[in-house]
This record gives sequence, structure tokens and C-alpha cells, in this order.
Amino acid sequence: MAAASRIGRPIVLYMRCLAVQIKAVLEYQADFWILMMASVLMNLVGFVFLWTIFTKIPDVNGWTFWQVVVIYSLVFVAEGVGSLFFEGTWNLAFLVNRGELDFMLLRPVSPISQVMSCAIGINGLGNLLLGGTLIGLSLSHLQIHWTLGRVALALLLLASAIATKIGLNLATNASAFWVQTPFSGFAFSMHQLGDLARYPITIYASAVQALITVAVPFAFVSFFPAAAVFSKGSWRLAGVELPLRWLGLATPLVAIYCCWMGVFLFRRGLRRYESAGN
Amino acid sequence: MRRAYVMHAKLALQQMFAYRAGFFLGLLGNFFFLLSMFYLWHVLLKNPRFTHALGWDWSQMKAYLLIGFVTGALVSTFTDYTMANRIRTGDVALDLVRPVDYQKARFSEAIGIALFELCTAILVCAIVVAVFGGMQPPTLQAGLLFTVSLLLVVPLKFGIIYMSGLLCFWTTNYLGVSWSRQAIVNIMSGALVPIVLFPVWLQGLANVLPFQAVVWTPARIYLGTIHGTEAAMWLAIQAAWGAGLWILARLMWKVAVRKLVIQGG
Repeated sequence: MAAASRIGRPIVLYMRCLAVQIKAVLEYQADFWILMMASVLMNLVGFVFLWTIFTKIPDVNGWTFWQVVVIYSLVFVAEGVGSLFFEGTWNLAFLVNRGELDFMLLRPVSPISQVMSCAIGINGLGNLLLGGTLIGLSLSHLQIHWTLGRVALALLLLASAIATKIGLNLATNASAFWVQTPFSGFAFSMHQLGDLARYPITIYASAVQALITVAVPFAFVSFFPAAAVFSKGSWRLAGVELPLRWLGLATPLVAIYCCWMGVFLFRRGLRRYESAGN
Repeated sequence: MRRAYVMHAKLALQQMFAYRAGFFLGLLGNFFFLLSMFYLWHVLLKNPRFTHALGWDWSQMKAYLLIGFVTGALVSTFTDYTMANRIRTGDVALDLVRPVDYQKARFSEAIGIALFELCTAILVCAIVVAVFGGMQPPTLQAGLLFTVSLLLVVPLKFGIIYMSGLLCFWTTNYLGVSWSRQAIVNIMSGALVPIVLFPVWLQGLANVLPFQAVVWTPARIYLGTIHGTEAAMWLAIQAAWGAGLWILARLMWKVAVRKLVIQGG
């Protein structure tokens, strides 16, 4: 009982915080629809882009249209979960810059979870709906032999891919403790680096592939998990042949690493935090 | 009176220097986008069907993507976000009592910032050309017309961005407006896919909208796929859109200000 409440209570509190944010968002219904429309438009534009390209060619480096749509949509879905449940991460720069983090440090709840739940990006709902639909559509077009094991693997990889993105969001946003600007420019530019993982990463030069695989592992948000589910062959990086499938299976480990990194950097940064002073 | 607007431009430029870190990080983000487009199209253009459909090869596509990058950087910083913020917080009331025209003042600021944006974007292009190499310079005539076209992008993009900023009089959330605008401009300007690759109906739609003049017109002039009278015609269309959006923005402002309610003090 005690153990259950130790794990359960923070989650309940987290959901309560988010529920308050949802109420706030629903006060402004026009905003709700504008954000939904924006996320649907962005997703649609990406889809039209891929579709236009693939009317001319059957595949890009061995990846077919629907497989690329899965990669593309995975980035979108991971972003969506980040916006819907962890949008506050992006407010960290503002909270640090204004010294508003003080309030959170006084409360007996983990500052990380307070920061992460202090905002909601309702556009994430649009991402999830359309991104999810596109993934579903793609899977119905792809001849994949689904066994129970493969379904379980796909779900595990999906969860890990999302966790990787959330962890990277937290890690890059923790830069706010060092660079004290009210806007998280660094995290945002890294987010755009992550957009490179919207396509099969084999199109890039080795250095770029290494950058988004090792240094900032955005490729584990989309490319590698998809490669594992589609049982793709090998991958050459700087002359070394690596089995793509096995790298894809490493996604859960990468997810743990990224989340740990996020928490570690946040705590490190918090030690430097001196408030803004009024 | 003119001095007031020159001052607006100067102050905006100074502000850019003060906030340069944020600007360069934004530019870095755009650079990553450019990078993904570069590699993607490099792979795609190995297929002769693309070179055939486009009418140009990889060395020309590099120029196309760089033009997309430069026009993307122009009038992309501060203008709309500052406007949106001031409208949302009510600070716009202070702008209303100032003895300068609101639209002209914002345009002056946009020009000041555009100088900075243009210089840095061209610098990035120079580096990219040095790394990726092999880009053909345009003919003299094409080069001159392209310069005119590039300058005409400034009022055009200002019109688009200014009007999207004005939407804040009706909605409190600018982020969604800004994202929608970026998505529409990205696809309809040809920044993602050259318009000629679109299906016919989408090409028709793109050609009657103002967004094609942001990338598609200057790029085609640079690459020489349109020249002579045809180039002049598209330049005229580009200029007409710039002027048309200016007038449209004026009307929008008139309606918006009537709606304005400033709360509290």
C-alpha cells in the first residue's frame, strides 16, 4: 500500500497539474482550434511533401513511401506526446530567467515534474491524432507479418522512442541554467536538428549520421525503431557494417540514457540556480 | 518625418546586435533544415526522373535550396512576435498614441533587421558553397533581375508576417497562427518542393497565391528557367503582391483597431 502510494501519488499530482492546464486552455476555445489546426497543417504539409517526392520514385535508399511515412510520423507523434504531457519543459528558460522557479522549489514535490507539468501544448493532440492515423495507414499498406512478439516489440520501441525525445527535450532545455535567456534558443535549435531524423538517415554524410546517432541520438526517435520493426538489413557508417535491426533493439537503452541525462543535467543546473531576485 | 522611420530601422538593427545569440541559434535551426534538404535532394537528384521533371541538375538544385534558405531568413526575426506580444499585453496602446504610422514603423524595423538577416544568410551560403562546391553563377542579366526579385521579397514577406501578427487582435495565441503560416508558406512557396513537381491542380493553386513569389519566382530567375518578358511578368506579379498585401494589411489594421479593448492600467 505504502509502495503503491509512493509511486502513485506523484503521477496523480502530475495529472492534476495537467488537468488544471487543460481547463485554462479550454477557456480560450479559439486558441484550442488554432493550435489543433496548426499541428494538422504542419503534419499535412510534411505528408504532401513526401507524397510529391514518391510519385516520381519507388524508394529512397531502399525505404518505400509508407516506411518513410512511419519514420516521419514517429517524430511527429513523439513531439505530440512531448507537447501534450511535458510542454512545461519548454518553459524552463522563462522560469529560470524570471526567477519563478523559486515557487516550485518551495513545494514538497519534485521540481522536475512541476516544471514539466506547468504547461500544456494542446497542439500535441493534433499531432497524436494525425500522426497516429498516418502510422496506422502506413502499417495497413506495409506487408508486415504481425506476430504477438512483434506487436509487443513495436509497442516497446514506440514507448522508448517517445521517451528518448522527452529525455532529449529535458536535457537540452536544462541549458537554461547555464545560458540565462528567457527563450530556450539552444533547445529549439536542437529540436530542429531532430527533424533530420524525419528521413532515413542513410541519406546523410557519415558525420551527420554519427551526430544524430551518438552525440544527440535523435535517430532513435524514429529511424532505428522503425528499422527494427521492418527488419531492415545492415547499415554502413564510416566503412563499418552494423546490423540495423540490433541497433533498433537498443532503443530502450538509449531512452533510459537520454532520460537519465535529462534528469542529471537538470539537477546539475539546479545547483547553479541563484534565482533572479526582485 | 522620414527621420523617425530611419530611426526605427536603426534601433531595430541595434536590437538585433543585442539579441544576436538568440538570432544565431534560430539561424542554426534553419541551417539544420537546409542540411536535411541538401542531403535529401542530393539523393533524389541521382534519379534522372527528377532532373528531367525539374529541368535542372544537382548543381542548380543547390542554388535553389540556398535561395530558399536566404528568403526564409529574410523578415523572419522579431517583427511578428514583438507585434503579437504587444497586442496581447496591451502595450500596443502606446504604439497607437505615437505620431508615426504603425505599419510604416513596423516595416522600417523589418528593413533594419533584414539587413542583418541578409548579411548573415549570405555568409552561411558562402560557407555551404565552400563545403559542397560546384555552384553555377547566374548570367549578368539573370543576376540583376534576381537581385531585384530578392529585394521585392522583403515587402512581400513583411505583408504576410505583418498580417499574421495582426491576427492577435482576434486571438490570444500567436504560436498556432505562426505555425500555420510557416506550414503554408513552406509548401506553397516551393521551399520544400519546387512547385513544378506538384500535381497540376496544386500548381494552379500555388500560382494564384502570393507565396510562390517568396521562393519560386526569385529562384527561377536565378536559374534562368524564366527570362526576358516572362521574368519581367513574374517580377511584376511579385511587386503587385507586395503592394496588394500592403493595402490589404491597412484595411485589416483599420478593422482590428476598432475591435481593440485594452484592459486595466
